[in-house]
Amino acid sequence: MSARRWAVALGLLALALPFVLEGNRFLAFVYSIVMIHLIWANGMNLLYGYVGLMPLMFAGVAGVAAYAMIYLTRSHEWSFWLAAPMASLGASLFGVLLGLPSLRLTGFYFTLCSLVIQTVITLAFVFFPTFTNGDTGINQIAPPQAPWGGALSGVWMDETLAIVAVLSVLLCGWIVSTRLGKRFMAIREDDVLAEVLGIDVVRDRIIAFFIVSMFASIGGCLFAVTIGFISPRSFDVLTSLNIWLFVAFGGRGTLIGPIIGTIVLAPIPYLLQELQGFKDVLSGVLIIVVTLLMPGGVWGELLRWRDRRRARRALAVGQT
Amino acid sequence: MSDATLLVVASTLSTGLILGAIFALVAAGVTIVYGCVWLPNASNGQFFLLAALAAWSLTGAGLGSAAAIIMVLLLGLVLSLGLEWLLVRRLYDVPNRNVACFVLTLGLTQIMAGIFSMTWGRWSDQYTLPPLVSGITMIGPFPMTNNRILVLLIALVVLAASFALLRYHRYGRALRAVFQNREAAALRGVDVRAVYRMSFLLGSSIIFLGGLLFALAYSFDLTVAWTMSVTAFAIMIVGGPGSVLGALVVGMVFGFTQAIVSIFASPTAATFSYLLAMLAMLLFKPTGLFLR
Repeated sequence: MSARRWAVALGLLALALPFVLEGNRFLAFVYSIVMIHLIWANGMNLLYGYVGLMPLMFAGVAGVAAYAMIYLTRSHEWSFWLAAPMASLGASLFGVLLGLPSLRLTGFYFTLCSLVIQTVITLAFVFFPTFTNGDTGINQIAPPQAPWGGALSGVWMDETLAIVAVLSVLLCGWIVSTRLGKRFMAIREDDVLAEVLGIDVVRDRIIAFFIVSMFASIGGCLFAVTIGFISPRSFDVLTSLNIWLFVAFGGRGTLIGPIIGTIVLAPIPYLLQELQGFKDVLSGVLIIVVTLLMPGGVWGELLRWRDRRRARRALAVGQT
Repeated sequence: MSDATLLVVASTLSTGLILGAIFALVAAGVTIVYGCVWLPNASNGQFFLLAALAAWSLTGAGLGSAAAIIMVLLLGLVLSLGLEWLLVRRLYDVPNRNVACFVLTLGLTQIMAGIFSMTWGRWSDQYTLPPLVSGITMIGPFPMTNNRILVLLIALVVLAASFALLRYHRYGRALRAVFQNREAAALRGVDVRAVYRMSFLLGSSIIFLGGLLFALAYSFDLTVAWTMSVTAFAIMIVGGPGSVLGALVVGMVFGFTQAIVSIFASPTAATFSYLLAMLAMLLFKPTGLFLR
């Protein structure tokens, strides 16, 4: 099958699975979690894989959107379908603001800066409880309204998440294929060279931060209504690091990589409910393994292995 | 000033001094490693906590404080040698390795945090060490425990020693040479990898010592790791990466800030201010205030 057919089959499978899993609430729940993280991983991949910046404040932006959405639905009685896009828009503008340091800093200094920003956001969530209810968190978040009245829940909620996740993959693929995507990759490879070639690096980075924050925000809003409970810990630096790990483990800068990483890694915390400490150890080990042994991620290493084999075979053919 | 105000001022001064010296120590440990190896050690807070927790366990098992400290320092040396051999040395030849190193130590942070929550986190939630020496000295009208005075002295002596080491000793000069230009240093006969290893060991040991001193002076819990990490990074960035003098000055400033802020508000407010100082520094003068 061609790559396009594979993609269509995968997309249809993702859309069909909620109905298959309808009978088992636990599996359906894990599935919905995977779908939300898939949206996040796609956003993270755009910035980390294609623009080449590692934003550790990713989860903070998602948190800002989630809290804003809850504020709008609770205090102003907006519908979720209006509140979520507005909150996401606001949080994305905020995300652009947080991305401004990238205009001066790259590499380690940008990552450190984003870590500081994330820590400040988490502290702000805890110490300004007017909107966030502090460490206690906000519970009983109402699910979105269904178009046919009542609350959207169960299989249709899962289906909504699957649709948004599939759309996020499609959007990511489309962006990468446009001229903007090519410019992102040029900036990733060498931002000075890109500038010399006439690419407006500043403008493109700002655009990237806007798009990526949009992914983070929409994921954050959906996360809040799916789980029904959020606290500052839902959006702390470990969340950012986890999403980064999904991308790096699967393969940065590829479309399929983050999907692999999310499907493999996102369910783990929910399967290890009792062993939270063990989960931390496991993801720490994975982070180290990815950095030291497979910088290209699972998919990247697979591609490299295939290329090497092809090269060897071509060499063998040439010799006979 | 009334007696009560004087007492508050005096206790703020002593807290500021001790906290500042410990901050400066840990930041010096981080800055030596970053300055030389380009390894931003994000797990410094966990190292710090590990030393404190290990000392707590050893003293709990009946060892005296001094013996426990020596044991923990040796343990820290073995641990950092192991880490260097297992992980860190693999990144020595990677160009632009500071992001990879940073991520690596973030992974290490997560592993250690997980282990701590599964072990020490279950055994207790507040830890104190028995004092190193007993007794109280009156400094003017103000009482100060001998234990804290000793802690302060050790911290200052070690800081001074590491400053002198980097300035005047052969090893320190080799280290700074590698920092400035690795190839040229190698050409002049410096064993670059050995210098890297030495500075990682030295930096980690200083961080371990910082954790021990903190545990001797104050009671602590598991959250101190993250706060310390962030604070040490903030000090390193503001003071200038690689500068022990910068770590000392900025560490003292931050220590006093924390002591003063803690009178009026929660210590977290102080953390807020470090983070903002670091952010401003990163944005406007990433090379820091002090030269190395």
